[in-house]
Amino acid sequence: MNPTMPESSCSMTAPQISRRRLLGALATAASALALVRFEGLFSPTASRKESRRAVISFHQDQPYLDWSGTAVPYYPPPGTRSADVAAHLTEEMLRRICINL
Amino acid sequence: MVDFSNQPTMKGFFAPTRFEADVYDCEVIGKVPTELNGAFVRLGGDWFYPPISENDSPFSMDGYINMFRFKNGIVDYKGRWVKTPRFQVDRAAHKQLFGVYRNPFTDDPSVKGLDRSVQNTTPLAFAGKLFTLKEDSLPYEIDCNTLETIGPWNFHGKYKSLTFTAHPKVDPLTGEMICYGYEATGLETNDVFLYTINQKGEVTRELRFKVPYVSMVHDIGLTQKHVIIPVFGFVTSLERLKEGKVHWGWDSTKPAYVGIVPRDGEAKDIRWFKGPERATVHTLNARTEGEKVILEAPIYDSNPFPFFPPIDGSPWDPSKARAYIRRNTFDLSSKDDGFSEEKLFSMNVSDLGRVDDRYLSLPYRYAFTAYADKERPFNEWKAGNLAGRVNNCYGRFDLATGQMSSYFAGETHSLQEVCFVPRKNGSEGEGYIMGVASNYAEMRSELIIADAQRLEQGDIARVILPFRATAQVHGRWVNESELPFA
Repeated sequence: MNPTMPESSCSMTAPQISRRRLLGALATAASALALVRFEGLFSPTASRKESRRAVISFHQDQPYLDWSGTAVPYYPPPGTRSADVAAHLTEEMLRRICINL
Repeated sequence: MVDFSNQPTMKGFFAPTRFEADVYDCEVIGKVPTELNGAFVRLGGDWFYPPISENDSPFSMDGYINMFRFKNGIVDYKGRWVKTPRFQVDRAAHKQLFGVYRNPFTDDPSVKGLDRSVQNTTPLAFAGKLFTLKEDSLPYEIDCNTLETIGPWNFHGKYKSLTFTAHPKVDPLTGEMICYGYEATGLETNDVFLYTINQKGEVTRELRFKVPYVSMVHDIGLTQKHVIIPVFGFVTSLERLKEGKVHWGWDSTKPAYVGIVPRDGEAKDIRWFKGPERATVHTLNARTEGEKVILEAPIYDSNPFPFFPPIDGSPWDPSKARAYIRRNTFDLSSKDDGFSEEKLFSMNVSDLGRVDDRYLSLPYRYAFTAYADKERPFNEWKAGNLAGRVNNCYGRFDLATGQMSSYFAGETHSLQEVCFVPRKNGSEGEGYIMGVASNYAEMRSELIIADAQRLEQGDIARVILPFRATAQVHGRWVNESELPFA
């Protein structure tokens, strides 16, 4: 680059880009990207992509979904939900195993 | 080789526990009242070896006795298998040798003639001894300090029935025990032997009589003047046993009979009343008022047990397997065999109810039992999806006013049978309720202690076990002075 060349004309062959044009292009691109992301929130496909990143965590003993993806996943300790085995049972089957529920 | 993997319902909280336990100085949340000295003794069952048939009854589970021993605010826990002959021969064979509930025709031939009892129903402290009770055999004596099994007991040879009820009644005024055995002379016999046993454990009276048909006589009512004997719906026969079925089936065509006999009466004095299909498995209390005998009990419309199915092949009906606290009144001056029935509370409850035992056979006011309050929260996320299907509350039912007060165990808990522990020299209902809760979130058992007069305030102490205690059928509080505790 010719140090004497003015800033606005770094090359005679390339189209000339002013600082204002560059900032404008960047702003347009950013706006377009933001729009795509915003629309994507309502798109089933994008929504699935988002949920892949969500992490189930616990805060103050309550479960919540952490959408940032930075939380530590929650794995129930052994024994938690220990009644689940009976959840699908009919009343008859439940009474067959539990005479004192 | 022991294998429970093909038992689909014996998982999670409902998996067999299979171990004996000692926990010294149990973890406590809250403060155990120092005035509670003695033991909360529980008896229940668990499968040590898998049943031979999926159609067997949970009443065939091996007996397991356990106690929370209270001393000056400190609680120790101990649990032991009841070492019946059946348990011991199974262990020697490393498998289940016994067939379905009370049916010796389904047993392995090698155990023919052996006592089949599993001793899994009710603990009893009487005449300075601790017993396990199961209605198909004699009581088994248990060492109250080690909980090791001593063996069957026949009251110095004077108790002649081959069986002994799981629900004897102790008269609070005389200290006498009124007890009985049904199928007293063997399988399929309609003989009942009714006994009075004094505080020293001596048989002082025997009455032999027959019931209208061979049936389960699981519990009785006792007044100061009468014994009330409910007979209902469950039937058996040698034919069904030889077909390999469990002992009982339900016959909805059978009327419910209730026998009433004076405590000092003879067999000829029994009067049988007859009513529609009902199941009175457990009673609360009874009394005699002039010519009227009054029984209060959580009574089912029909068969409460799906594992004793209808004999006509129809499906078991869960909608009729709900117990309601009812009052039956028998007029001894009437000319017919009918009796009246009132439903005292509109809600259905657990039929494992209790009263202040100092008022047994006497006029009384309060009954306690567990029930499912579907309006209370249940945390499915932590406990599993049993919302609305577990007893999450203990209730105190005021039979004088119809009011109820309630204790809620928590959003991940279910409650087993309640027990009432009176305060020394307190009035009726003054004392504590006690019972074991299953904590499905932590997969552990917790003994709940609450002030019986302030149930809404929640528990005053929870004794935490770091594991699941074997499920209880019945439990009772035993005062320090009742047994030779170390």
